[in-house]
Amino acid sequence: MNVAATTTVLTKQQKPATIRDTAERRRTIRTAFTFLAPSLIGVILFLLIPIVMVIGLSLVQWNMLTPMKWVGLSNFVNIFEFDGFGHSLVVTAYYVILNIPIQTVFALGMAMLLLRKHAGSGLIRVIAVLPFLSTPVAMGVIWNWIFNPSGLVNQFLGHLGITGPAWLSSDATAMPVIAFANIWQYVGYNMLFFLAGLGAIPLTLYEAAALDGATKWEQFRRVTLPLLRPTMLFVLVTGVIGSFQVFDTVYVMTNGGPGNATEVASLNIYNTAFTGFRIGEASAMSVVLFLIILAITVVQFRYFNKRITYEIA
Amino acid sequence: MTSAISAIPAAKAAPRAERPPQVGKAVRLTLFYLLLIIIALIFILPYLMSIFAAFKPLPAILAQSPLRPPTSPTLSNFSTLFSQYDFGRYLANTLLVTVILTAGQVIFSMMGAYAFARMEFPGRDSLFWLYLMTLMVPNIVTLVPLYVLFAHSHLLNTYWAIFLPYVLGVPYSVFLMRQYFMTIPKEVMEAARLDGCSEGRILWRIIVPIARPIIITATLLAFVFGWNNFMWPLIVTNSNSLSVLTVGIAYFNSNFSVQWNLILAGALVALIPMVILFAIFQKHIVNSISLTGINR
Repeated sequence: MNVAATTTVLTKQQKPATIRDTAERRRTIRTAFTFLAPSLIGVILFLLIPIVMVIGLSLVQWNMLTPMKWVGLSNFVNIFEFDGFGHSLVVTAYYVILNIPIQTVFALGMAMLLLRKHAGSGLIRVIAVLPFLSTPVAMGVIWNWIFNPSGLVNQFLGHLGITGPAWLSSDATAMPVIAFANIWQYVGYNMLFFLAGLGAIPLTLYEAAALDGATKWEQFRRVTLPLLRPTMLFVLVTGVIGSFQVFDTVYVMTNGGPGNATEVASLNIYNTAFTGFRIGEASAMSVVLFLIILAITVVQFRYFNKRITYEIA
Repeated sequence: MTSAISAIPAAKAAPRAERPPQVGKAVRLTLFYLLLIIIALIFILPYLMSIFAAFKPLPAILAQSPLRPPTSPTLSNFSTLFSQYDFGRYLANTLLVTVILTAGQVIFSMMGAYAFARMEFPGRDSLFWLYLMTLMVPNIVTLVPLYVLFAHSHLLNTYWAIFLPYVLGVPYSVFLMRQYFMTIPKEVMEAARLDGCSEGRILWRIIVPIARPIIITATLLAFVFGWNNFMWPLIVTNSNSLSVLTVGIAYFNSNFSVQWNLILAGALVALIPMVILFAIFQKHIVNSISLTGINR
């Protein structure tokens, strides 16, 4: 984000400051704020006020019917002791760990495979991006069908003489299947960023490395990966922020089950707030999740910023 | 799609040659296309199988392999959805809400982006930073307080509730367009101002035509978001007449758990418009996604 570079530059012909000038300036300012007003109202009403509110609400006990009761920080203890939020965070982390590395490796692998134009590779690029647009809820029910005990996957395994599990109702397989569904959905989307990143690396760097006797693997390690760091940062940051909030596919594929094996953080927040109507606890969960996502994002920026040292003029 | 798939075997056969130095290359190319076919199948099969199934009666879905096309395709699943259940209503609701959300979000974000990019006013840079900061806020965090706000404004169970939080312009879209507007030379606008053009006219007549690629991108992103949005409509509506497709599909999924014919046909009602959108705009979508990544 090169925002810092875009400071105000006052331009043009030095006109003498006249009354007409200030009136004009005032009019420009008024127009500017008219243009800005809708989005600014949106940001204040639907982003800033809710953020302040969620902190306030996390300190009360409230079911939206009876008056609020101030309880201080006790919600932050209770969500871990009684609402299984610790479990939800572990489950969410497990999902993120299943999801992000595989998705990133496959996205990069596919990008490298499809980088050079062969007949058909353009078509595959397009096909791989289609899932990105596809309604996650609709895809979720399709995966339910494909992974049901007598579905395609188990029919296929049956041909190989293997009895497949009940994928979505067994503890060990439910989360990996959900992770698979999300990897399938977003791998092509992330591939596009890697394609753009790879395309920006000058071929001369590889030629120079080859002249120095670098093997293909060394070229990948010493040229490709370092130069892809900005892309990697973007893909990882957006991927992690997104997967910490996973909801749609979980809701339709397992709804947190079996038991609470796949009750991710957002599903716990949803259940606490909208089936239990315990607004205080749900807000406390939201605050904790926010802090975790924020901390991980900051760490990722730190790690990559330290290492982005290459600049191609 | 089919034309290029049929082109693959031809391309695979072409480089096959007897001379030893070319054998390695032929093997590599064969492997390459094998991999490509596997990747294509992984991405296409789920769509293909659910299309097959949506045109079969339930007994055929249960008895046949999902890979088998329907022998006598039937529209009965879809007609059941639209006549006995409210899928027509869900589809109309989704379309209405998504179109309003998209139009508002694009126009208002565009106006904000123009103010940030090419107008001078006090506090501009700090306000822009404020917008950027809100990009870091995950949706889930504002969910509960937003619900409380809407409940207190008596907006629950209205169409307004479904699109209001997104219709006034969103920081991401403002940011995206602002970055693009910054690349348009200032002189263009200054010349228009000297000619007495109002700012609204400049935006509409000069900026919009130049910035078409990014505006189409913002429009597509908003439309896809609105169409696929699930959690928020699920929370703020609880009457069937206001349900959008995603909520309707989820309801079907939990209440008709073995009627795959209806569930899959319902999923396709949501998916097919997206596939059509993609078919029309695929080049643009593919290019613009990369664009959004580099801009950040």
